[in-house]
Amino acid sequence: MSKLDHALYEIHHMDTLADKDQWLNRIHPLVKLIVTVSYIAVTVSFHKYSLAGLLRMGVYPAALFILGDLSFTDTLKRLRIVLPLVCFIGLFNPFFDRQPVTILGMFTVTAGMISMVTLMLKGIFSVLAAYLLIASTSIEKICSALRMIHIPSILVTQILLTYRYISLLLEEAGRITDAYSLRAPKQKGVHFKVWGSLAGQLLLRSMDRAEAVYQSMTLRGYRGEFYHGGNTRISKKDTAYLLVWSCLFAALKLI
Amino acid sequence: MSHIHISLEHVNYSYDTSHSVLKDITFTAREHDAIGLIGANGAGKSTLLKLLVGLNLNYEGSIRIEDIPVEKNTLPVIREKTGYVFQDSDSQLFLSTVKEDVAFAPRNYGLSEDEVNRRVEHALANIHIEHLRDRQIYKLSGGEKKMVSIATILSMIPDIILMDEPSIALDPKNRRRLIHILNQFEHLKIIASHDLDMILDTCSRVILLSNGEIIRDGNTVDILSDKELLEAHGLELPLCMQGFSQISH
Ligand SMILES: Nc1ncnc2c1ncn2[C@@H]1O[C@H](COP(=O)(O)OP(=O)(O)OP(=O)(O)O)[C@@H](O)[C@H]1O
Ligand SMILES: [Mg+2]
Repeated sequence: MSKLDHALYEIHHMDTLADKDQWLNRIHPLVKLIVTVSYIAVTVSFHKYSLAGLLRMGVYPAALFILGDLSFTDTLKRLRIVLPLVCFIGLFNPFFDRQPVTILGMFTVTAGMISMVTLMLKGIFSVLAAYLLIASTSIEKICSALRMIHIPSILVTQILLTYRYISLLLEEAGRITDAYSLRAPKQKGVHFKVWGSLAGQLLLRSMDRAEAVYQSMTLRGYRGEFYHGGNTRISKKDTAYLLVWSCLFAALKLI
Repeated sequence: MSHIHISLEHVNYSYDTSHSVLKDITFTAREHDAIGLIGANGAGKSTLLKLLVGLNLNYEGSIRIEDIPVEKNTLPVIREKTGYVFQDSDSQLFLSTVKEDVAFAPRNYGLSEDEVNRRVEHALANIHIEHLRDRQIYKLSGGEKKMVSIATILSMIPDIILMDEPSIALDPKNRRRLIHILNQFEHLKIIASHDLDMILDTCSRVILLSNGEIIRDGNTVDILSDKELLEAHGLELPLCMQGFSQISH
């Protein structure tokens, strides 16, 4: 698979995950959104030395991996670019904060080391929580949830269409490079002399495509408001889900 | 006499000022007409269809759909009556699953979710693609996408159907189904196609375009059996008619 195909495959793979008919996927999108946001808020609010407390917050992603029947190794592979970046942030703490805290055998643990680990964990947990939301909720549903909390329609439609246009752009780029490589079989990659015109082509074509998609939407009655079907009511099960998690987060934060 | 649904008078259109794509187009279409729009590549078929739903607006002359002039502020009303199938299905479909995409138009028209579901089921059943309902669109084949595109406008229950090359990419069986659906649809339909055999099976009237002008507007069989006329404008006899001439050779 070429890099482009691979990128497309990844996007579509997320769609497939979000489309599974499963207990977690069926929870109301607004509830999942609120739980995710509050989880991230609670997680980042932990004090920089409270490692034990923070570790307990790992319960939520762990539970969701099980509930959502998602593969943990797959996730790590998919997040392999983001996670190291997130971890990088805390890397210098041990150098600034050399106050010893405890001694484990030969090894002196400094406060900086602890704050490094908590900072990394905060990042990892937040990224995982966001990933779990996306992997169990389609972009249409997330957008409908955003509308329910009265995020302006223009903004929500932007998000939705950006997501769709990314695939269009990648598909278009894939077609162009395929067509190129079929007629230039001996080259590795694209010769730099045609980069300019290929990029131009890509821009024009994706603008055309975006325009056509927009036309197709207006032809079928789109007037700036995206209606997502499905149940908009919050069921007892959803309320229970919300209550259980928010109580748990509160408890984990307070003990 | 059934009432007039589409009327064009002296319509001129050009994408850029240098050369005009449509020249002095005048015709009317009535409620139960089935019109085949034929012409060589670049004759202006797609452009004409796009004018009818207001995708191209800066035209000269007058275009009226059910007596409403096609203008920027009348587009919502006109488009609610009209189902338009793009030449290229990738432009038509943009949501993740088939069901979502077919439900898009009914939802926009404010129908209840029950009614939306009924419409979706009906549209899919009508062209025998219920099995595609929960499939993701990017995984469909070209022909399957075409069938889904057709379903997306059937769910609108339109008064007018406009189709740009609908039979392209379809296998013989699906092409048969399409012909069947088109024949079932009693209201006005205009079909632009190079598949003259399909036009012969579905349309009673043909408009022949060449270089943006209407060359002939009349009975399907008369025009499609006129070998000289067709060849003069870059077309050939429908396959079913070519058979006869070869046998007589
Ligand atoms: N977006 C555009 N900008 C400029 N010119 C265009 C555009 N689209 C079409 N044209 C020109 O308008 C003319 C008519 O195009 P149109 O797409 O209507 O042809 P068509 O009859 O549908 O052909 P085909 O059978 O190939 O689909 C062509 O000469 C084409 O070059
Ligand atoms: Mg065309």
